[in-house]
This record gives sequence, structure tokens and C-alpha cells, in this order.
Amino acid sequence: MEAMTDAGLRLIGTALAIGLAAIGPGIGIGIIVSGALQAIGRNPETQNTVVTYMFIGIAFTEALAIFGLVISFLIGFGVL
Amino acid sequence: MTLTPRNRNIAIGLVVLSVAIASMFCLPTGEPHVEVKAEPLFFLIGSPENPFFPFVNSFTIMLIADVLLIGLAFAATRNMQMVPRGLQNALEMAVEALYNLFATINREYVARAFPLVATIFFYVLFANLLGLIPGVGSIGVCQEYHHDTHGTSLTGRLAAREPGGALPLYASAEEEGAAHGNAYNTCPAGTILVPLFRTPSADLNFTLALATLAWVYIEYQGFKVLGRGYLKKFFNTNGIMSVVGIFEFIGELVKLPAFMFRLFGNIFAGEVVLVVLAFLIPLFLPMPLYVFELFVSFIQAFIFAVLTMAFITVATTGHEEEHHEGQPSAAH
Amino acid sequence: MGELGLNLNLFLTQLINFGVVVTVLSYLLYKPVLNMLRERTERIEQSLQEADQVKQQLANARRDYDAEIARARQEAAGILSQAQDRARAQEAEIIAQARQDADRIRSDAREQALQERDQLLREVKDQLAELVTLAASRVLQAELSTQGHDKLIEESLAALGRQN
Repeated sequence: MEAMTDAGLRLIGTALAIGLAAIGPGIGIGIIVSGALQAIGRNPETQNTVVTYMFIGIAFTEALAIFGLVISFLIGFGVL
Repeated sequence: MTLTPRNRNIAIGLVVLSVAIASMFCLPTGEPHVEVKAEPLFFLIGSPENPFFPFVNSFTIMLIADVLLIGLAFAATRNMQMVPRGLQNALEMAVEALYNLFATINREYVARAFPLVATIFFYVLFANLLGLIPGVGSIGVCQEYHHDTHGTSLTGRLAAREPGGALPLYASAEEEGAAHGNAYNTCPAGTILVPLFRTPSADLNFTLALATLAWVYIEYQGFKVLGRGYLKKFFNTNGIMSVVGIFEFIGELVKLPAFMFRLFGNIFAGEVVLVVLAFLIPLFLPMPLYVFELFVSFIQAFIFAVLTMAFITVATTGHEEEHHEGQPSAAH
Repeated sequence: MGELGLNLNLFLTQLINFGVVVTVLSYLLYKPVLNMLRERTERIEQSLQEADQVKQQLANARRDYDAEIARARQEAAGILSQAQDRARAQEAEIIAQARQDADRIRSDAREQALQERDQLLREVKDQLAELVTLAASRVLQAELSTQGHDKLIEESLAALGRQN
């Protein structure tokens, strides 16, 4: 078995950065959509507004995952 | 010659198939690689060693999107009719729907901000959709590899790079040799395939430019409406609010990279997923993802524009206003 | 940041390009389209108003027409009743006249009849007197004086008058 190299550690770091960063937003987006669907279910005529704000909320939440993705790129491509 | 829809579809399929097969023999093919940055096709100013102003492959789609958008706008509004028809009708419907959507978010500033946010939506949408056309990212030219201008693949970057060694695309010289022995890789050794097209949304320069414009506009509106009060949102000596203000300031600064990386990350990640899946199972697996990427293309354009609009609302609403609203009306 | 492809010149190119697109589109697309939408909204509102006006006018005309019709009908009814009244009056008059005429004719007829009877009676009485005179003269002939003669005639006539 080969010894652990710098490059291998980078790969692990890259994978961990995006992998861990995807957990929270995944749960968060689920909660947002669930809330939005409940709101639409209770008050269907507000659907347009709710969907717009749902996407805004998803964008905020998803930004965290995207930051993780960027960090993983930075690690993987040796910027950090 | 008249064709039934069924025969027409078959004809289209045959044409596409023959074009694909012909392009396989006529166009250079290379090892597809995941590339974070836009690669230069040629240099307007500078050289591969000193890339001052390269013509990168994201410029191609940028120019196509420019021409398409402006051409469409020109064609639709050249001969405006009171009763709209065809293209004018379609664009009017799109503009009106966008206007109404933005008006639900911020009725007060929609007229002012509309040109910027609507152009963000249309341009990003066109860029994203153009980036999904087959051939974008796979049709290209073979170029000699230069480390400063051409990117690296993840594995190549990770591999130990010695002078004169393997291209950083490959983990080792043996792997590179194996890759060039492949019938599908027609680029000569030492060169890599540089795609002619790349969607601007997967080029950080474009997303940064867009984010900068949007962010500057948001801050400008904040200052214009609240004056010095806008700074007081962030810096004040109001007990706990001073700490909150600092956090808000950081949040304000983070909006810029958030805008930039949100669009870039979504589109770039989508392209990577499509490439990777095409390598795993080329035939049918990428199809649902293609549909998903179409959806993402639309949603990201939508999000960028809607978030800009929403941030304008946040920036132009002062703390003091909220405070006043909270006071009992008897005081007035 | 070179690894991520960030390059000041490329950034500025994209910035300027996007700025140009925003400007061009705002003059070429948004302004005319939004103006057109506003114009169309105004025009539709105007048309709706005009339609309302026309409807109002129509309703007014309708009302006038109805009023006119009602008035005409009323007038006709008035005329009719008047005519009926007049006809009834005339009828009554005619009937009265007729009745009067009938009465007159009847009374005339009766008078005439009475006169004729009287005359007839008188004639009969005269003839009877003559006959009586004749018969008596025949019976009595010369025996009788002229005094007795007249007395006898008187008695006979009185008897006739009682009989009658």
C-alpha cells in the first residue's frame, strides 16, 4: 500500500469540503420546500408568491453548498 | 415536399446523427477534461507566456448571446403593432411577466431597476441554454499545452509535475501515452483539445462582472435612498445593534462572492456532472440530467435577477423606518 | 486567483459587454415594450370607458324610447276611450231620438186612429140617424108631425150614445 501523499490528502480535502458542505443545505432546502408546500396546501391562491420566496430561500441556503464547492475547487486546484 | 411530423422527426434525427458522425471524423477529438477557467483560443494582446488579453472560449458564447439577444429585441420591436403578433407577442409576454414578477417583490423600484435585472435574467438564461447545446465543450481545436493559460485537471494538478514530464491533465507519462493511443483522441501528443465554446456562466470573469454590477447597483440604491442612514445600518453605537451591524456589513460584503459563485457553481457543476455521466454511460443516462440542467439554467437566471431585486428592497429599507413603524400611532 | 481563471482584462471585457447589452436592450426592448404595454393598457381603459358611455347612451335611448312608447300608448288609450265615450253618447242620443220618434209616430198613429174612429162613429151615427129617420118616417109616415120627428131622432141618438 502506498504511503499517504500530499496529493492524496488534497483529494480527501476536496471531497470532504463539498461532501460536508452539501449536508446542511440539503436538509435546509428540504425544510424550505416542505414549508412552502404546506403553505401552498393551506392557501393555494398564494402559490406564486410562495414559490418566488421559496426560490429566494433556496438560493440563500444553496449558497452554502456552493461555497463548499468553491472551497473544494480551491483546495483541489492548489489555490489554498 | 411535405413531410408528416413523424417523417420530419426521423429526418431531423438522421441529419443530427450524420452531423455527429461526420464531426467525429472531421473535427479533432481529445481527452475531455474538467476545466475551471476559460481557455484562450488566441491572444489579442500578449502571448501564451504572458497572457495579457486572451480571446477565451467563453467570449464566443458571449458574442453569440449578444447577437441573439439584441437581434431578437431588434426584430421584435422594429415594427411595433398595437395588436402584437409572433415574436413581438412572445417578447412582450416575457417582458410583461418579468415586470409583474419583479413588481411583486418591489413595486417601488421595479421601474428603475428593471433594465438591469431583466437583462441579467435574459442574458444569463441565454448563456446557460446556449451552454447546453451539444458540441459546446466538445468541439474544439488542438493546442499546445501551456501551463499558465491552460488549466489543469484535478488529477493532473495533483500529480507530481516535473519539467518535461506529463501534461498536467494526466497523472503520469504512462497514462498520457495510453490516452494518445486511444482512437478517440486525435490530438497529437503534447497538445490538448481546447473547446471553441464555453458558456460565460461557467467563466468566473463573467459571473464576477455580473455580480459586481448587481452589487454596486444595490449599494448605490441603498445610499441614494437612505443617504448616510445607509451606513448607520452597519456602523452604529447602539448597544447590541452595533454588533448586529457588523454582521450585516460582513453579510453585505459576502453578497458579491455569493452572487458570483452561485451562478458559476451551479452551471459549472452541471457541466461536470453531464461530462462525467456521459463518460460512465454515454447513451441514456445523461438525458434526465439534461432536463434537470435545463431547469437549473432557468432557475439560476431567475434567482440572480430576483435576488438582485430582493436585495434592493433590503438595502432601501432603513432600520429607522422599521423603528418608526413599530411606534404607536398616537405619537404622530 | 489565476487558477480560477480570473483575469482583470477578461473581467473588464465582460463588464463592458454586459453594460452595453443592458443599455442596448433598455433602449431597444424594455422602453418600447413597456411603453407599448402602458399605451395598450390606456387604450383598453379608454375603450372600456367608451363602451360604458355607449352602453349608457344606449340605455338612455332605450329609456326615452320606452317612455315615448308608453306615452303613445297612453295617448292612444285616451283617444280610444274618448272615442268610445263619444260613441256611447251618440248612441244614447240616437236611441233617445229613435225612441222619441217612435213615441211620436205611435202617438200620431193613435191620434189618427182615434180621429178616424171618431169620424167613423160620427158617420155611422149620421147614417144611423138617417136610417132611423128613414125607418121611422116609413113607419109613421104622415101621422107624425115634424115636432115628433125631431124628438124621436134625439131619443134614438141618446139611446145609441148610451149603448155605445
